Amino acid sequence: MIEFDHASRTYGTKEAVCDLSLTIPAGELFALLGPSGAGKTTSIKMLVGLLQPSQGTVRVCGHDVVRDPRSAHQRLGYVPDEAILYDKLSGREFLWFIADMFGMDRGVTAARIEDEIVAFELGEFVDDLAESYSLGMKQRLVFAAALLHAPDVLVLDEPMVGLDPRTVRIVKDLIRSRTRDGMTVFMSTHTLAMAEELADRVAIMVKGSLQFLGTVGELRQQLSVEESSLEDLYLQLTGRGIGLPAASENA
Amino acid sequence: MVASTLGHMLQTARLRITLVALLSLVFWGSLFGIFYEAFHFLEDLHADVIPMLFNAFFLSLMVMLVFSSGILLYSGLFTSREARLLLTLPATPDAIFAHVFRESIWFSSWGFVLLGSPMLVAYGLVHGASLAYYLLMLPLMVSFAIIPATLGGMLCLTLVRFLPRLRLHVLSMAGVLAVALGGWLGWSAFSQNDADRLTTSWFEQAFSRLAVTEQRFLPSWWLTSGLMEASRSSSDPQQQWAALAEAGAFLAVLVANGLFLQLLAGLLARAWYRRGYGLLAGEYTARRAPQASWVDHAIERLGSKQGLPLRLLLVKDLRLFRRDIAQWSQFAIFFGLLAIYFVNLRSFHYDSSYASLIGSLNLGVVGLILSTFTTRFVYPMISLEGRRFWILGLLPLRRDQIVWSKFLFSVAGSLPPCCLLILLSDRMLGLPGKAILLHEIACVTLCIGLSGIAVGLGALIPDLREASPSKIAAGFGGTLSLVLSSLFIMPVVLAAGLPFHAEAAITALGSSWPWLAALLGIFTGGSGVAVSVGILCVLGLFAGGTPLMLGIRSFRRLEA
Repeated sequence: MIEFDHASRTYGTKEAVCDLSLTIPAGELFALLGPSGAGKTTSIKMLVGLLQPSQGTVRVCGHDVVRDPRSAHQRLGYVPDEAILYDKLSGREFLWFIADMFGMDRGVTAARIEDEIVAFELGEFVDDLAESYSLGMKQRLVFAAALLHAPDVLVLDEPMVGLDPRTVRIVKDLIRSRTRDGMTVFMSTHTLAMAEELADRVAIMVKGSLQFLGTVGELRQQLSVEESSLEDLYLQLTGRGIGLPAASENA
Repeated sequence: MVASTLGHMLQTARLRITLVALLSLVFWGSLFGIFYEAFHFLEDLHADVIPMLFNAFFLSLMVMLVFSSGILLYSGLFTSREARLLLTLPATPDAIFAHVFRESIWFSSWGFVLLGSPMLVAYGLVHGASLAYYLLMLPLMVSFAIIPATLGGMLCLTLVRFLPRLRLHVLSMAGVLAVALGGWLGWSAFSQNDADRLTTSWFEQAFSRLAVTEQRFLPSWWLTSGLMEASRSSSDPQQQWAALAEAGAFLAVLVANGLFLQLLAGLLARAWYRRGYGLLAGEYTARRAPQASWVDHAIERLGSKQGLPLRLLLVKDLRLFRRDIAQWSQFAIFFGLLAIYFVNLRSFHYDSSYASLIGSLNLGVVGLILSTFTTRFVYPMISLEGRRFWILGLLPLRRDQIVWSKFLFSVAGSLPPCCLLILLSDRMLGLPGKAILLHEIACVTLCIGLSGIAVGLGALIPDLREASPSKIAAGFGGTLSLVLSSLFIMPVVLAAGLPFHAEAAITALGSSWPWLAALLGIFTGGSGVAVSVGILCVLGLFAGGTPLMLGIRSFRRLEA
């Protein structure tokens, strides 16, 4: 479903992502962790086609996001860390715009928009202009828009920022149910508890390179620490800079 | 800070800086040439009308500066992210106002300096002014600009404090009234004026009706008087010093009033800024109807399935435009003003060659007004998508379609008002059908070319991090777009006018410049119009197509 094949990205002389190789199969919930400036957002932007890799390739459902972006985007849903919307469009108009752009049947769209409005509790404000929305309202609308065309892959960049506890719960339940139905979720987050609770596998990125790739159990095993939370393990790996060998696909 | 910013720009964007400096010089030089010739003509025959001309010019600039500063300060004080941050800092409201004011006066008055300085330098040279005139010119202009800019800020603070819900409606209504007043003044000045055109008495009659602009309490009068006194040259040193002292006194009046208004604005900001911000933040925005309007629906449904993404982008931009009152009200005001002027053209009773000349000039005026709109509103459109590129960048559509949609939006939006205005102008002037047809073709060329320049450059050199369209337009790309647009308008107007003036021009040339006479010869006779249409087509395709293609190529590689 998602493949990073020796993908690197530089900004001038600075290497933001270095030789990233990663395969995430269908139905997996994958969490990318790392301190600020580790290269998480750059990796995500390469995955959704907003940035091109300096080297290597990134594929979504077999489609190269650089060479065949339209096919890749047809299968992608994306929730950015900072969702800036069109202030003078209402939430409903925004949802219709996205659905029409994806070429969805209008009859199906109408029903699906109503479903998303109910699922993300948008009803009270969906016909107001987006300029009046709070951060949480915007984020809920963006979730609804990302899921509208039933993508195979959902990419989430810090998805819980600005959400109230009730919406966090709604989002968590939704992610679980969609992954059960076969959707792949790629998520970057600082909320370690959520990664520990939801993710099938986690990766820890430091200074553009993967320091760990595997399950939380495998991480414990590698660090020889039993009964520790992901937070402890994360801090041990990133804070003290333990020199584990760079992770490979077999890790 | 300015020095370090300039240093950084010189290091990172040397080509841009060189290009903008070069093009600004060309623009400045062209304006200087036009003003120099005009002042020579006026100085020889009608020197006494120059102060009236300056008064009218500076008064109209003053009105424009009040509105442009008011709009810029509104966005800087009430809608920007920076204001949100500044209000959380231990800074007093008047300090925040002063900070935003400094930025807005730069953005709102650079055009005033670019337009005013060649005019004043040309006047000084023609009039034989002393060095003191040139030294006083800049302080006089800057101290003058502060007054309308501060008034705009005070107007903005007052409106938001007392009329938050109606703030922009009131501002627009005031703008419409100001324009209507200007239109009425212009009409009353030039209509029913049967004296021989361009004679001293004609000028005096015309400008005497603009006497209202010469009121002594107006800053435009202080500026004009200061400039006139500073330009006075006399062989008697005593008289020379007296004139300079007078000029200095007018500068002092401008500075004192500017500082006094700054003080008042500071007091207003201290009293009303935070309160107004709070009122605005608590304002309720109206709900939209769940169904799309019939216009949007019709555009979406008309055409093939392949063209649907393009039409959806058009509908989206149309909605954003019509819900942004600041955009369409300025559009309506300026085109409304032109309509008033064109409707009143009938009262001049021109002979046919003069009417044709005025028709060509009107075509140029429509082009110039349109170029300011394409620069101010169309050029920033691609840049404004930058912070929302996660939306369009992830949709399954070709990036070319995004650029084409902006181009179509601009052409479709500018064609009807421009073509109607030109039709109105030509009908009022009583031009023949052939001239009207050629002017309409030229108008279409202008719409296509100016849209291509604005959209193409917008895609070629976007500013993806800036949220304010006025600041995007005031940057390098916007300036380049305005300069290129002005350079494009000139040959279009010439090509449209030549079939009707070529013979007169050849006669005037006589035996001198035989190559020019031969060149003009192709525009005479029955084939002249066809040649003109061919040139217009080439001009439109080249000026519109080249930047558009370059922009599309660059936009395909854009990263956000």
